[in-house]
Amino acid sequence: MTYFRAVDPFPLESERYTKLHEFYTRLGQGRLVTTRCAGCGRVAWPPRGFCPECRSDRFEWADLPGEGTVAAFTVQETGLPAGFDGPRVFAVVDVAGHRVFSVLREVAPEKVAIGQRVRLTPMRVDDDPEGKPRWLPAFSPV
Amino acid sequence: MRDVAIIGVGSTPFGKLERQGIVEMAVAACRDALAESRVPREKIQALYLGNFAGERLASQGSLAAIVVNRLGMSGIPATKTEGACASGGIAFRLGVLGIALGLYDFVLVGGVEKMSSAPTAEVTAALATAGDETAEMRTGLTFPGAFGIIMREHMARYGTTRAQIGLVSVKNHGLGAANPKAQFRKPVTLDEVVSSRLVADPIRLFDCPPISDGAAAAVLCPLEMARDFTAKPVRVLGTGHATGPATLWESADVTTMPATVRASREAYAAAKIAPADVDVVELHDCFTIAEIIATEDLGLFPKGKGGAAVEEGWTALGGKVAVNPSGGLISKGHPVGATGVAQIYELVRQLRDEAANQVRGAEIALAHNLGGTGVVSTVTVLGRA
Repeated sequence: MTYFRAVDPFPLESERYTKLHEFYTRLGQGRLVTTRCAGCGRVAWPPRGFCPECRSDRFEWADLPGEGTVAAFTVQETGLPAGFDGPRVFAVVDVAGHRVFSVLREVAPEKVAIGQRVRLTPMRVDDDPEGKPRWLPAFSPV
Repeated sequence: MRDVAIIGVGSTPFGKLERQGIVEMAVAACRDALAESRVPREKIQALYLGNFAGERLASQGSLAAIVVNRLGMSGIPATKTEGACASGGIAFRLGVLGIALGLYDFVLVGGVEKMSSAPTAEVTAALATAGDETAEMRTGLTFPGAFGIIMREHMARYGTTRAQIGLVSVKNHGLGAANPKAQFRKPVTLDEVVSSRLVADPIRLFDCPPISDGAAAAVLCPLEMARDFTAKPVRVLGTGHATGPATLWESADVTTMPATVRASREAYAAAKIAPADVDVVELHDCFTIAEIIATEDLGLFPKGKGGAAVEEGWTALGGKVAVNPSGGLISKGHPVGATGVAQIYELVRQLRDEAANQVRGAEIALAHNLGGTGVVSTVTVLGRA
């Protein structure tokens, strides 16, 4: 059974629909970045286009390290949404004190461990409706 | 602020309800609540209806207005409330506030969800929209995955065991077996729970609620008018409604839900009671581990002791505080928009001594509804009037 979908199910990662799209563009270049408020200098995680502290909506991009450690994880076998196959390893990766939720790739599920060192290996997902590539954070063992 | 009473409740059975659409189920529950309250329909001044995914799973918007229309009550204000799986709890609280603040004398509240009409993968994707799309859900994360991470962390941090968590499922299935409204009417053993199909390690199939259809409703009025309609009104002693982080990205500690903590403290303060005063609880066991975390966040047990509490039988029927005597979401079923109001339905029946698994002499009841991984929560404290 297939559903006809007229809308992009993930519009908020397209250049046209979010001012944070560079987060994804830079992921495609292998860089994990977040926002630094241009008003008060506060570094946000996850990236935010509005600073609730000083109420500025101006920001610049700040690089984060390309490595981190697994802080929490699960191996999902079933119950994944359409278009995803299990087993899939989801993890919270500690990157310079930020908790980055992501997928672990190129790893045997039974070998994942808390404290494991992992490096950023961004994952290409479905292109946007204009055919531009989209990326998500993913990590692989160091 | 005026005191508020519940003077009638109604609920469909929960399950895969054939030949019943989203509007029909909501109408059926509302009709039963209105009939029980004996309030004529022309006296009802507003409807608040909880629903999460009606547009996506049942292709129906304008839901609250259509429901009052079908009930022959067109004209009154009708509002759909959405807060993921806490949509029903929010509807109930807005109804209570409408009367407490003197805006209305008679309010109908309800909740409904139609889920069995869509393929499982679509239901999963619809529920996943409760997370922050830009942050996590695009990775394919769904709620079993998120709670798998949470369960693992609770086990690591507090030494909570697989068996303790599995006993939540054993307890709730055992209780649901006696509830005529429940989707699952069959007890399960701990062995069956811990050897059921792996979903998101360590979460297994029997740690999860089913996909369900269903609706529930309640009629509210000022306490001072309640005895004109029923001999057994139930009093709303206090309510709370709070929000928390939408993502695991933002939670420094995923084993606690700040929204539950805050909503419960608000409700306890309004009711002028302490957690130890509560006799019976219907709480949001969207996974077995969620029940353990909720009993801790509600202050029923110290943080980290929720697993031991289940093992000791403290949350069983006849224990210190009966938790989910209806069978909970896991056994009774979880039509997400209906759940918050269905909890009220069950607790009203407890306080009228009419429940399937009656907690003897229950005086104080608490309902806890949770959205997402804790992005929103409502808590209601009820008592005999």
